[in-house]
Amino acid sequence: MTPETHQHLASLLARAGLGDRRAFEEVYRATHSKLFAVSLRIVRERQLAEEVLQDSFVAIWNHASDYAQAKSAPTTWMTAIVRNRSLDVLRRGAHEAEDVDEVMALNLVDESASPANDFDAGQDMHSVHECLKELEPDQRQSIALAFFQGLSHSELASHMRKPLGTVKTHIRRGLMKLKDCLVRHGTAEGRR
Amino acid sequence: MRRVPATAQHALAAEYVLGTLRGRARQRFETLVQDDRELANAVRAWEDWLTPLSERVQPVEPPERVWRAIEARISPRAAAAPAGFFSSLGFWRGLGMALTVALVALLVLFPSAPPAPDKATMVAVLATPEADPRMVIERHSGKLMVKMVKPWADMPNQDLELWAIPKDGKPRSLGLVAYNKDSEVRLPNLDEKLAGTVAFAISREPAGGSKNPDGPSGPVICSGPIARTA
Repeated sequence: MTPETHQHLASLLARAGLGDRRAFEEVYRATHSKLFAVSLRIVRERQLAEEVLQDSFVAIWNHASDYAQAKSAPTTWMTAIVRNRSLDVLRRGAHEAEDVDEVMALNLVDESASPANDFDAGQDMHSVHECLKELEPDQRQSIALAFFQGLSHSELASHMRKPLGTVKTHIRRGLMKLKDCLVRHGTAEGRR
Repeated sequence: MRRVPATAQHALAAEYVLGTLRGRARQRFETLVQDDRELANAVRAWEDWLTPLSERVQPVEPPERVWRAIEARISPRAAAAPAGFFSSLGFWRGLGMALTVALVALLVLFPSAPPAPDKATMVAVLATPEADPRMVIERHSGKLMVKMVKPWADMPNQDLELWAIPKDGKPRSLGLVAYNKDSEVRLPNLDEKLAGTVAFAISREPAGGSKNPDGPSGPVICSGPIARTA
Protein backbone atom coordinates (compact mmCIF):
# COMPACT_ATOMS: atom_id res chain seq x y z
CA MET A 1 0.00 0.00 0.00
CA THR A 2 1.49 3.29 -1.08
CA PRO A 3 1.67 6.44 1.06
CA GLU A 4 -1.07 7.87 -1.21
CA THR A 5 -3.32 4.94 -0.35
CA HIS A 6 -2.56 5.48 3.33
CA GLN A 7 -3.48 9.11 2.97
CA HIS A 8 -6.67 8.16 1.15
CA LEU A 9 -7.70 5.68 3.86
CA ALA A 10 -6.85 8.23 6.56
CA SER A 11 -9.03 10.84 4.86
CA LEU A 12 -11.87 8.32 4.48
CA LEU A 13 -11.60 7.57 8.19
CA ALA A 14 -11.75 11.29 8.97
CA ARG A 15 -14.95 11.55 6.93
CA ALA A 16 -16.36 8.46 8.62
CA GLY A 17 -15.61 10.21 11.90
CA LEU A 18 -18.00 12.92 10.78
CA GLY A 19 -20.71 10.37 10.16
CA ASP A 20 -20.10 9.82 6.45
CA ARG A 21 -21.34 6.28 5.96
CA ARG A 22 -20.25 6.10 2.34
CA ALA A 23 -16.66 6.92 3.24
CA PHE A 24 -16.91 4.26 5.93
CA GLU A 25 -18.21 1.69 3.47
CA GLU A 26 -15.22 2.47 1.27
CA VAL A 27 -12.92 1.81 4.23
CA TYR A 28 -14.69 -1.51 4.76
CA ARG A 29 -14.45 -2.53 1.11
CA ALA A 30 -10.74 -1.71 0.99
CA THR A 31 -9.76 -3.66 4.09
CA HIS A 32 -12.37 -6.28 5.04
CA SER A 33 -10.94 -9.35 3.31
CA LYS A 34 -7.48 -8.85 4.77
CA LEU A 35 -8.86 -8.16 8.24
CA PHE A 36 -11.23 -11.15 8.03
CA ALA A 37 -8.25 -13.37 7.18
CA VAL A 38 -6.28 -11.99 10.13
CA SER A 39 -9.13 -12.82 12.51
CA LEU A 40 -9.91 -16.19 10.95
CA ARG A 41 -6.36 -17.40 11.53
CA ILE A 42 -6.64 -16.55 15.20
CA VAL A 43 -10.19 -17.60 16.06
CA ARG A 44 -10.38 -20.54 13.59
CA GLU A 45 -14.16 -20.45 13.17
CA ARG A 46 -15.83 -18.52 10.39
CA GLN A 47 -18.85 -17.65 12.52
CA LEU A 48 -16.64 -16.25 15.27
CA ALA A 49 -14.46 -14.39 12.77
CA GLU A 50 -17.57 -12.82 11.22
CA GLU A 51 -18.62 -11.59 14.65
CA VAL A 52 -15.15 -10.23 15.31
CA LEU A 53 -15.15 -8.38 11.99
CA GLN A 54 -18.58 -6.95 12.69
CA ASP A 55 -17.71 -5.80 16.22
CA SER A 56 -14.38 -4.41 15.05
CA PHE A 57 -15.91 -2.30 12.29
CA VAL A 58 -18.57 -0.97 14.64
CA ALA A 59 -15.70 0.03 16.97
CA ILE A 60 -13.80 1.55 14.02
CA TRP A 61 -16.90 3.59 13.13
CA ASN A 62 -17.36 4.74 16.71
CA HIS A 63 -13.71 5.72 17.08
CA ALA A 64 -13.02 6.92 13.55
CA SER A 65 -12.83 10.50 14.77
CA ASP A 66 -10.10 9.49 17.24
CA TYR A 67 -8.02 7.95 14.49
CA ALA A 68 -6.14 11.16 13.70
CA GLN A 69 -4.64 10.99 17.17
CA ALA A 70 -3.53 7.39 16.77
CA LYS A 71 -0.57 8.45 14.58
CA SER A 72 -0.13 4.92 13.23
CA ALA A 73 -0.88 3.88 9.65
CA PRO A 74 -4.65 3.39 9.17
CA THR A 75 -4.21 -0.31 8.43
CA THR A 76 -2.08 -0.75 11.55
CA TRP A 77 -4.72 0.95 13.66
CA MET A 78 -7.53 -1.18 12.22
CA THR A 79 -5.55 -4.43 12.31
CA ALA A 80 -4.73 -3.85 15.98
CA ILE A 81 -8.46 -3.46 16.72
CA VAL A 82 -9.26 -6.71 14.90
CA ARG A 83 -6.40 -8.62 16.52
CA ASN A 84 -7.36 -7.45 20.00
CA ARG A 85 -10.98 -8.36 19.47
CA SER A 86 -9.98 -11.77 18.11
CA LEU A 87 -7.80 -12.46 21.13
CA ASP A 88 -10.63 -11.35 23.42
CA VAL A 89 -13.14 -13.80 22.02
CA LEU A 90 -10.70 -16.64 21.71
CA ARG A 91 -12.00 -19.53 23.72
CA ARG A 92 -8.88 -20.69 25.35
CA GLY A 93 -7.91 -24.26 24.67
CA ALA A 94 -10.76 -24.58 22.17
CA HIS A 95 -8.46 -24.90 19.24
CA GLU A 96 -5.34 -26.78 18.35
CA ALA A 97 -2.61 -25.31 16.25
CA GLU A 98 -2.54 -26.52 12.70
CA ASP A 99 0.68 -27.94 11.46
CA VAL A 100 1.18 -25.23 8.90
CA ASP A 101 3.55 -23.04 10.69
CA GLU A 102 6.83 -24.22 9.37
CA VAL A 103 5.53 -22.86 6.11
CA MET A 104 4.32 -19.67 7.71
CA ALA A 105 7.64 -19.14 9.44
CA LEU A 106 9.39 -19.54 6.12
CA ASN A 107 6.97 -17.18 4.43
CA LEU A 108 7.95 -14.55 6.92
CA VAL A 109 11.31 -14.30 5.30
CA ASP A 110 10.15 -15.03 1.77
CA GLU A 111 11.54 -12.24 -0.31
CA SER A 112 9.75 -13.43 -3.41
CA ALA A 113 6.38 -12.24 -2.13
CA SER A 114 5.31 -9.40 -4.34
CA PRO A 115 5.24 -6.07 -2.50
CA ALA A 116 2.65 -4.84 -4.97
CA ASN A 117 0.13 -7.24 -3.45
CA ASP A 118 0.87 -6.31 0.08
CA PHE A 119 -1.71 -4.72 2.28
CA ASP A 120 0.72 -2.26 3.67
CA ALA A 121 4.14 -2.72 2.18
CA GLY A 122 6.31 -0.07 3.68
CA GLN A 123 9.55 0.56 5.43
CA ASP A 124 8.35 -1.14 8.61
CA MET A 125 7.42 -4.28 6.81
CA HIS A 126 10.82 -4.55 5.24
CA SER A 127 12.41 -4.05 8.62
CA VAL A 128 10.31 -6.51 10.57
CA HIS A 129 10.97 -9.18 7.96
CA GLU A 130 14.65 -8.39 7.83
CA CYS A 131 14.82 -8.46 11.60
CA LEU A 132 13.01 -11.78 11.91
CA LYS A 133 15.79 -13.31 9.87
CA GLU A 134 18.20 -12.47 12.66
CA LEU A 135 16.31 -14.59 15.19
CA GLU A 136 17.01 -18.21 15.94
CA PRO A 137 14.58 -20.62 14.24
CA ASP A 138 12.81 -21.56 17.51
CA GLN A 139 12.37 -17.91 18.41
CA ARG A 140 11.07 -17.05 14.97
CA GLN A 141 8.65 -19.97 14.92
CA SER A 142 7.19 -19.30 18.34
CA ILE A 143 6.69 -15.62 17.54
CA ALA A 144 5.03 -16.47 14.22
CA LEU A 145 2.73 -19.05 15.83
CA ALA A 146 1.69 -16.63 18.56
CA PHE A 147 1.16 -13.73 16.17
CA PHE A 148 -0.67 -15.47 13.33
CA GLN A 149 -2.48 -18.29 15.12
CA GLY A 150 -3.06 -16.60 18.44
CA LEU A 151 -1.41 -19.37 20.41
CA SER A 152 -0.85 -18.90 24.12
CA HIS A 153 2.38 -19.88 25.89
CA SER A 154 0.97 -23.26 26.90
CA GLU A 155 -0.48 -23.94 23.46
CA LEU A 156 2.90 -23.09 21.99
CA ALA A 157 4.58 -25.47 24.42
CA SER A 158 2.38 -28.38 23.46
CA HIS A 159 2.57 -27.58 19.77
CA MET A 160 6.34 -27.28 19.78
CA ARG A 161 6.77 -30.11 22.29
CA LYS A 162 8.92 -27.99 24.53
CA PRO A 163 8.71 -27.16 28.23
CA LEU A 164 6.62 -24.07 29.00
CA GLY A 165 9.61 -22.20 30.44
CA THR A 166 11.65 -22.80 27.31
CA VAL A 167 8.90 -21.45 25.07
CA LYS A 168 8.47 -18.37 27.24
CA THR A 169 12.20 -17.75 26.97
CA HIS A 170 12.11 -18.13 23.17
CA ILE A 171 9.36 -15.54 22.98
CA ARG A 172 10.90 -13.10 25.42
CA ARG A 173 14.39 -13.25 23.97
CA GLY A 174 13.09 -13.28 20.41
CA LEU A 175 11.03 -10.15 21.01
CA MET A 176 13.87 -8.27 22.64
CA LYS A 177 16.21 -9.22 19.82
CA LEU A 178 13.57 -8.06 17.37
CA LYS A 179 13.29 -4.78 19.24
CA ASP A 180 17.04 -4.19 19.16
CA CYS A 181 17.06 -4.81 15.44
CA LEU A 182 14.02 -2.62 14.73
CA VAL A 183 15.41 0.25 16.79
CA ARG A 184 18.69 -0.12 14.94
CA HIS A 185 16.78 0.20 11.65
CA GLY A 186 15.13 3.31 13.07
CA THR A 187 11.56 2.43 12.15
CA ALA A 188 8.62 3.25 14.37
CA GLU A 189 10.47 4.87 17.25
CA GLY A 190 12.54 7.08 15.02
CA ARG A 191 9.46 8.17 13.12
CA ARG A 192 7.69 9.75 16.04
CA MET B 1 -2.02 3.13 40.34
CA ARG B 2 1.40 1.60 40.53
CA ARG B 3 3.44 2.36 37.46
CA VAL B 4 5.01 -0.40 35.47
CA PRO B 5 8.82 -0.23 35.80
CA ALA B 6 10.47 1.00 32.61
CA THR B 7 12.40 -2.22 32.09
CA ALA B 8 9.26 -4.30 32.14
CA GLN B 9 7.26 -1.97 29.91
CA HIS B 10 8.53 -3.13 26.59
CA ALA B 11 8.47 -6.78 27.57
CA LEU B 12 4.82 -6.55 28.64
CA ALA B 13 3.78 -4.35 25.72
CA ALA B 14 5.46 -6.75 23.30
CA GLU B 15 3.65 -9.81 24.66
CA TYR B 16 0.39 -7.89 24.74
CA VAL B 17 0.67 -6.98 21.08
CA LEU B 18 1.99 -10.42 20.14
CA GLY B 19 -1.03 -11.92 21.90
CA THR B 20 0.71 -14.13 24.45
CA LEU B 21 -0.42 -11.97 27.35
CA ARG B 22 -3.77 -13.58 28.14
CA GLY B 23 -6.75 -13.68 30.40
CA ARG B 24 -6.72 -11.56 33.53
CA ALA B 25 -3.16 -10.43 32.95
CA ARG B 26 -4.28 -9.02 29.60
CA GLN B 27 -7.22 -7.20 31.20
CA ARG B 28 -5.03 -5.79 33.96
CA PHE B 29 -2.55 -4.61 31.37
CA GLU B 30 -5.29 -2.84 29.41
CA THR B 31 -6.33 -1.00 32.56
CA LEU B 32 -2.73 0.04 33.21
CA VAL B 33 -2.28 1.32 29.66
CA GLN B 34 -5.17 3.75 30.06
CA ASP B 35 -3.36 5.63 32.82
CA ASP B 36 0.20 5.29 31.66
CA ARG B 37 1.30 7.27 28.63
CA GLU B 38 4.73 5.64 28.50
CA LEU B 39 3.16 2.22 28.46
CA ALA B 40 0.69 3.29 25.79
CA ASN B 41 3.59 4.54 23.67
CA ALA B 42 5.36 1.21 24.07
CA VAL B 43 2.20 -0.60 22.91
CA ARG B 44 1.97 1.66 19.89
CA ALA B 45 5.60 1.10 19.01
CA TRP B 46 5.06 -2.66 19.09
CA GLU B 47 1.87 -2.38 17.05
CA ASP B 48 3.78 -0.38 14.45
CA TRP B 49 6.55 -2.96 14.44
CA LEU B 50 4.61 -6.22 14.45
CA THR B 51 1.36 -5.43 12.64
CA PRO B 52 3.00 -5.20 9.19
CA LEU B 53 3.51 -8.98 9.51
CA SER B 54 -0.24 -9.37 8.90
CA GLU B 55 0.07 -7.88 5.50
CA ARG B 56 1.17 -11.04 3.78
CA VAL B 57 -1.79 -13.03 5.06
CA GLN B 58 -3.87 -14.27 2.13
CA PRO B 59 -7.15 -12.32 2.08
CA VAL B 60 -10.39 -14.21 2.72
CA GLU B 61 -13.67 -12.72 1.56
CA PRO B 62 -16.27 -12.63 4.34
CA PRO B 63 -19.96 -12.99 3.40
CA GLU B 64 -21.90 -9.82 2.55
CA ARG B 65 -24.11 -10.29 5.62
CA VAL B 66 -21.23 -8.99 7.75
CA TRP B 67 -21.42 -5.58 6.08
CA ARG B 68 -25.22 -5.53 6.34
CA ALA B 69 -24.96 -6.25 10.07
CA ILE B 70 -22.39 -3.48 10.53
CA GLU B 71 -24.53 -1.06 8.58
CA ALA B 72 -27.50 -1.85 10.79
CA ARG B 73 -25.47 -1.28 13.93
CA ILE B 74 -23.78 2.01 13.17
CA SER B 75 -25.87 4.85 14.45
CA PRO B 76 -26.78 7.76 12.20
CA ARG B 77 -24.44 10.18 13.92
CA ALA B 78 -24.86 12.79 11.27
CA ALA B 79 -25.67 13.01 7.62
CA ALA B 80 -24.43 11.25 4.54
CA ALA B 81 -27.04 8.57 4.92
CA PRO B 82 -27.86 6.52 1.86
CA ALA B 83 -31.15 7.25 0.11
CA GLY B 84 -34.00 5.46 1.81
CA PHE B 85 -32.18 5.65 5.07
CA PHE B 86 -34.23 8.56 6.29
CA SER B 87 -37.33 6.40 6.33
CA SER B 88 -35.70 3.79 8.55
CA LEU B 89 -36.64 3.37 12.17
CA GLY B 90 -33.05 3.76 13.29
CA PHE B 91 -32.79 7.17 11.74
CA TRP B 92 -35.92 8.49 13.41
CA ARG B 93 -34.95 6.99 16.72
CA GLY B 94 -31.53 8.65 16.45
CA LEU B 95 -33.07 11.91 15.38
CA GLY B 96 -35.56 11.74 18.24
CA MET B 97 -32.69 11.45 20.69
CA ALA B 98 -30.78 14.25 19.03
CA LEU B 99 -33.87 16.45 19.17
CA THR B 100 -34.33 15.71 22.83
CA VAL B 101 -30.73 16.68 23.52
CA ALA B 102 -31.21 19.80 21.42
CA LEU B 103 -34.43 20.76 23.14
CA VAL B 104 -33.00 20.31 26.62
CA ALA B 105 -29.95 22.34 25.64
CA LEU B 106 -32.11 25.11 24.20
CA LEU B 107 -34.25 25.23 27.31
CA VAL B 108 -31.17 25.42 29.49
CA LEU B 109 -29.52 28.03 27.32
CA PHE B 110 -32.47 30.23 26.58
CA PRO B 111 -35.01 29.77 29.37
CA SER B 112 -37.04 32.71 28.19
CA ALA B 113 -35.66 33.72 24.86
CA PRO B 114 -36.55 37.34 24.13
CA PRO B 115 -38.17 37.80 20.74
CA ALA B 116 -35.15 38.36 18.57
CA PRO B 117 -35.50 40.76 15.68
CA ASP B 118 -33.36 38.44 13.62
CA LYS B 119 -34.83 35.02 14.17
CA ALA B 120 -32.70 31.95 13.61
CA THR B 121 -33.83 29.90 10.66
CA MET B 122 -31.77 26.86 11.47
CA VAL B 123 -30.47 25.48 14.76
CA ALA B 124 -28.11 22.65 15.51
CA VAL B 125 -26.87 21.55 18.91
CA LEU B 126 -23.45 20.00 18.69
CA ALA B 127 -22.80 17.31 21.26
CA THR B 128 -19.75 15.22 22.04
CA PRO B 129 -19.81 11.47 21.35
CA GLU B 130 -20.86 11.17 25.01
CA ALA B 131 -23.96 13.27 24.17
CA ASP B 132 -22.70 16.25 26.13
CA PRO B 133 -23.99 19.40 24.36
CA ARG B 134 -21.11 21.87 23.86
CA MET B 135 -22.01 24.34 21.09
CA VAL B 136 -25.08 25.66 19.30
CA ILE B 137 -25.08 26.77 15.67
CA GLU B 138 -27.80 29.19 14.54
CA ARG B 139 -28.34 30.44 11.06
CA HIS B 140 -29.35 34.06 10.73
CA SER B 141 -29.57 36.08 7.58
CA GLY B 142 -26.07 36.33 6.14
CA LYS B 143 -24.27 34.64 9.00
CA LEU B 144 -23.99 31.70 11.35
CA MET B 145 -23.79 32.29 15.08
CA VAL B 146 -21.70 29.82 17.04
CA LYS B 147 -22.67 29.82 20.70
CA MET B 148 -20.86 28.16 23.54
CA VAL B 149 -22.75 25.83 25.82
CA LYS B 150 -19.54 25.04 27.65
CA PRO B 151 -16.17 26.53 26.61
CA TRP B 152 -13.40 24.11 25.71
CA ALA B 153 -10.17 23.87 27.69
CA ASP B 154 -7.22 25.87 26.32
CA MET B 155 -5.76 24.33 23.21
CA PRO B 156 -2.38 25.90 22.44
CA ASN B 157 -1.36 25.75 18.77
CA GLN B 158 -4.70 24.30 17.81
CA ASP B 159 -7.85 25.69 16.28
CA LEU B 160 -11.45 24.56 16.06
CA GLU B 161 -12.86 24.23 12.57
CA LEU B 162 -16.56 24.22 11.75
CA TRP B 163 -17.87 21.87 9.04
CA ALA B 164 -21.15 21.74 7.19
CA ILE B 165 -22.12 18.14 6.48
CA PRO B 166 -24.23 17.83 3.35
CA LYS B 167 -26.61 14.95 2.82
CA ASP B 168 -24.32 13.74 0.08
CA GLY B 169 -20.71 14.47 -0.55
CA LYS B 170 -17.77 15.81 1.36
CA PRO B 171 -17.82 18.03 4.44
CA ARG B 172 -17.41 21.72 3.64
CA SER B 173 -15.24 23.89 5.82
CA LEU B 174 -16.89 26.98 7.26
CA GLY B 175 -13.67 28.26 8.76
CA LEU B 176 -12.25 28.53 12.25
CA VAL B 177 -14.30 29.31 15.35
CA ALA B 178 -13.34 30.35 18.88
CA TYR B 179 -12.92 27.61 21.49
CA ASN B 180 -13.86 29.68 24.53
CA LYS B 181 -16.41 32.26 23.42
CA ASP B 182 -19.26 32.82 20.98
CA SER B 183 -18.29 33.61 17.42
CA GLU B 184 -19.83 34.37 14.05
CA VAL B 185 -19.22 32.94 10.63
CA ARG B 186 -19.71 35.35 7.75
CA LEU B 187 -18.82 34.03 4.35
CA PRO B 188 -19.72 35.54 0.96
CA ASN B 189 -20.76 32.12 -0.30
CA LEU B 190 -22.48 30.97 2.88
CA ASP B 191 -25.75 30.01 1.20
CA GLU B 192 -23.86 27.93 -1.32
CA LYS B 193 -21.82 26.21 1.41
CA LEU B 194 -24.93 25.41 3.40
CA ALA B 195 -26.93 24.00 0.50
CA GLY B 196 -28.06 20.49 1.37
CA THR B 197 -26.52 20.68 4.85
CA VAL B 198 -28.10 18.31 7.34
CA ALA B 199 -25.59 18.53 10.18
CA PHE B 200 -22.64 20.46 11.58
CA ALA B 201 -19.44 19.24 13.16
CA ILE B 202 -16.42 20.74 14.90
CA SER B 203 -12.95 19.28 14.54
CA ARG B 204 -9.78 20.09 16.46
CA GLU B 205 -7.05 21.00 14.00
CA PRO B 206 -3.47 22.22 13.96
CA ALA B 207 -3.29 26.03 14.07
CA GLY B 208 -4.77 27.42 10.86
CA GLY B 209 -7.17 24.56 10.24
CA SER B 210 -7.23 21.29 8.32
CA LYS B 211 -4.74 21.03 5.49
CA ASN B 212 -7.06 18.49 3.89
CA PRO B 213 -9.61 20.24 1.66
CA ASP B 214 -11.93 17.22 1.79
CA GLY B 215 -12.47 17.10 5.50
CA PRO B 216 -10.99 17.34 8.97
CA SER B 217 -7.51 16.10 9.67
CA GLY B 218 -8.01 16.13 13.44
CA PRO B 219 -10.60 14.50 15.70
CA VAL B 220 -14.24 15.53 15.51
CA ILE B 221 -15.04 16.68 19.02
CA CYS B 222 -18.73 17.46 18.64
CA SER B 223 -21.42 17.27 16.00
CA GLY B 224 -25.17 17.41 15.63
CA PRO B 225 -28.00 17.34 13.11
CA ILE B 226 -30.00 20.42 12.25
CA ALA B 227 -32.78 20.34 14.80
CA ARG B 228 -35.20 22.97 13.62
CA THR B 229 -35.76 24.98 10.52
CA ALA B 230 -38.14 27.85 10.30
